[in-house]
Amino acid sequence: MKFGGTSVATGENIHRVASIVADSFKEGYSVVVVVSALAGVTNQLMEEAEQAKRQSEKKVQEFTNQLTARHLEAAEKAIEDGGIRKEVKQIIRKTVDELEKVLLGICYVGEVTPKSRDYVLSFGERLSTPLVWGALRDLKVPTQYFTGKEAGIVTDDNFGEARPLMNVTTHHVRERLEPLLEKKIVPVVTGYIAATQDGIVTTLGRGGSDYTATILSVALSADEVWIWTDVNGIMTTDPKIVPLAKTLPRLSFGEAAEMAIFGAKAMHPSALEPVAEARIPVRIRNVFNPENPGTLIANGQETASKDVVKAVALIRDVAMINIKGAAMVGAPGSYAKVLDVLGKSNINIMMISAAVSEANVSLIIRRSLLGRALSALEIALLGRGMVSEITAEDDVCVIAAMGANMKGTPGVASRIFTALAKKGINIRMIAQGSSELNISFVVKEKDGEAAVRAIHEEFKLESM
Amino acid sequence: MWQGEVGMRIILIGFGVVGKSVTAIIARRYSERVKDYGFNPKIVAIVDVDGAVINPRGLSAEKLETLRQKGFPISKDPEFGHPGMSALDVIESVEAEVVVEVTPVNIKNGEPAMSHITKAFKTGKHVVTTNKGPLALALPALMELAEYNNVYFRFSGTVGGGTPMLEFAKRCLAGDKILAIKGILNGTTNYILTEMAQKRVTFQEALSNAQKLGYAETDPTMDVEGFDTACKIVILANWVMNRKVTLRDVDRTGIRGVTLQELDEAAKRGNTIKLIGAIDGEGKPTVKPMEIPKTSPLCVSGVLNAVTFHTEFAGEQTLVGKGAGGVETASAVLRDLLEIRRRLASKMLS
Repeated sequence: MKFGGTSVATGENIHRVASIVADSFKEGYSVVVVVSALAGVTNQLMEEAEQAKRQSEKKVQEFTNQLTARHLEAAEKAIEDGGIRKEVKQIIRKTVDELEKVLLGICYVGEVTPKSRDYVLSFGERLSTPLVWGALRDLKVPTQYFTGKEAGIVTDDNFGEARPLMNVTTHHVRERLEPLLEKKIVPVVTGYIAATQDGIVTTLGRGGSDYTATILSVALSADEVWIWTDVNGIMTTDPKIVPLAKTLPRLSFGEAAEMAIFGAKAMHPSALEPVAEARIPVRIRNVFNPENPGTLIANGQETASKDVVKAVALIRDVAMINIKGAAMVGAPGSYAKVLDVLGKSNINIMMISAAVSEANVSLIIRRSLLGRALSALEIALLGRGMVSEITAEDDVCVIAAMGANMKGTPGVASRIFTALAKKGINIRMIAQGSSELNISFVVKEKDGEAAVRAIHEEFKLESM
Repeated sequence: MWQGEVGMRIILIGFGVVGKSVTAIIARRYSERVKDYGFNPKIVAIVDVDGAVINPRGLSAEKLETLRQKGFPISKDPEFGHPGMSALDVIESVEAEVVVEVTPVNIKNGEPAMSHITKAFKTGKHVVTTNKGPLALALPALMELAEYNNVYFRFSGTVGGGTPMLEFAKRCLAGDKILAIKGILNGTTNYILTEMAQKRVTFQEALSNAQKLGYAETDPTMDVEGFDTACKIVILANWVMNRKVTLRDVDRTGIRGVTLQELDEAAKRGNTIKLIGAIDGEGKPTVKPMEIPKTSPLCVSGVLNAVTFHTEFAGEQTLVGKGAGGVETASAVLRDLLEIRRRLASKMLS
């Protein structure tokens, strides 16, 4: 079971989390708990790591004092037993002391490296985990806490975005956690953090604590992974756009990964990778509404329902670039040049479309990168005969309709586009991968929400 | 002027029967090696429990001979001895291309070999081992760690002794699909079962004979309970069939329960009972006494080992040979060293 930042944001929440774990434990389940940092703490640490290099010692101390206060207050509310509370508070103070030394080090040296940044970032989880550990002991659950490193997660040395050495990790995790599970002890493990083969702290990047949970579950051959969060599960669309949006009861791994990529509030695709391969089902559940069964992500779920379109996502803050040039037609390598220029400028292409006949290729990138992209493309490609014109639109958005059953079902695109046409919405660009998991298209930003509503309605997602 | 030998540098960890044989083979085959393969490995360090002998330019053949004859403790050597220096220190501080790990087997936690091997990987050294312990417990992890650190990891002496069972399956049967493996992989138990069947003696008598002849250890658990065979099956499953299994996944039964009556009954059917290690079509590893026809090519007697690979196209292939012995196992180490050298050369020249 993994608990996200909001689930452990305050002492009351931590107490709730502990009760959920205790209930499962008392029902006889073998549980491993993975804990995120208190909501907001990782971002604070990220900022502080950057700030520390040009800050005074006093500023660093102000930050650490504030951090101590927040965690001590949480301990106060989460743990009733005086003795346990005292022990947890001591651990928190000691851990913050260590953090302070690291930050002061950065402050003196005036430099933060990827290695030291990961070290600083690891403190969020190192502070939250003892709180959950204490709250569990408070409820008479036998438990022991570990950092991801102590639990045996070994990664490469790609600091900030480390990937696990899965076989090495499996070996260590089984060696360390299985004996505890046999003795009916609940291991509580810090999410997000691991270590290299030499024991240097790394972080798992965007996969985060979910990744820790899925790595551990594969290593221990768990029956299920439960991701506890603050929503009921993965929804058909953003309820702010369509108030009648529903929680999706079941999804396949492929669908879930699609939705994660398109920004649905779900798991990062890299976190899903290990469990998808090992076919371990994942449940997304709501800490604040544990009665709700949430969303089940598992193999073979695509055929469980007949719905072709299961969800619609709206991706804002994107921009479209159009590259024109008659000389691009039939010229091998011409698209490669375009992609290469953007790749070298470290710009990720989210969507691409080029017609057979047209001397034109359209790309979608993050809007914040538009300036950089345009200048790179202009410098590298214009005036060399191949590309004659580069234009951009920054008032667009992407809409993605997803569902595994689209595959081989004729007429899905026609239904989508007819629905949009009825609302008078013009489509600027279209892309569909041959896996047929989604159809993505671009409309003007002002039409975005209306387009989502139109598709939601057309496929009757509100009554799923 | 350079006063030492030219060649691949080796750290030898463990100076028991196999370790001594490795130095002997390297010293003895000098002229052939250089002439035929252009291969001239030199041992720059030997580590035993008491400490180390280190010469960064390579220990001479005479020095190796002296060390072999004097034996324990080696670190008293007046020229190159370092009493108390640990294997981990040597791996960390002595420059070398390859670590040869031949310490005694431990199937509880694989130590100390496990630490030696991982330390070698982390310091960028290739590893040749004959030690089944760490492999049986963590072969998938060790293979991944070697790959991550960009070093080679070879262990052909762990299965079949000098008989190239692993290479045969991996290289000679390349392109074919190995569907199942079945083998007699432990000489001690095969000797005991052969004695029982042929001389009609009880398990206990056969075991004490084997112990007298030095075929069985004072504590015969590793062999008669099937642990040794299980270790080898794990290695075969991982290396040949790409199955990520470890010792605990093996369904294992030893030979203590085999009775003369059972052997007699099997004989009436033209069969006999052997301790068979197997990986079936589903990749399930098992070790248990099984009845096999006396006419089967697998049915070898005495301390011999045999393994049959069931392949999709080439049918059944059986390999027979001595499964243990110092020199035999050391020959496997030499093979592994040559293989690493060949791979390194093609990497450097490509």
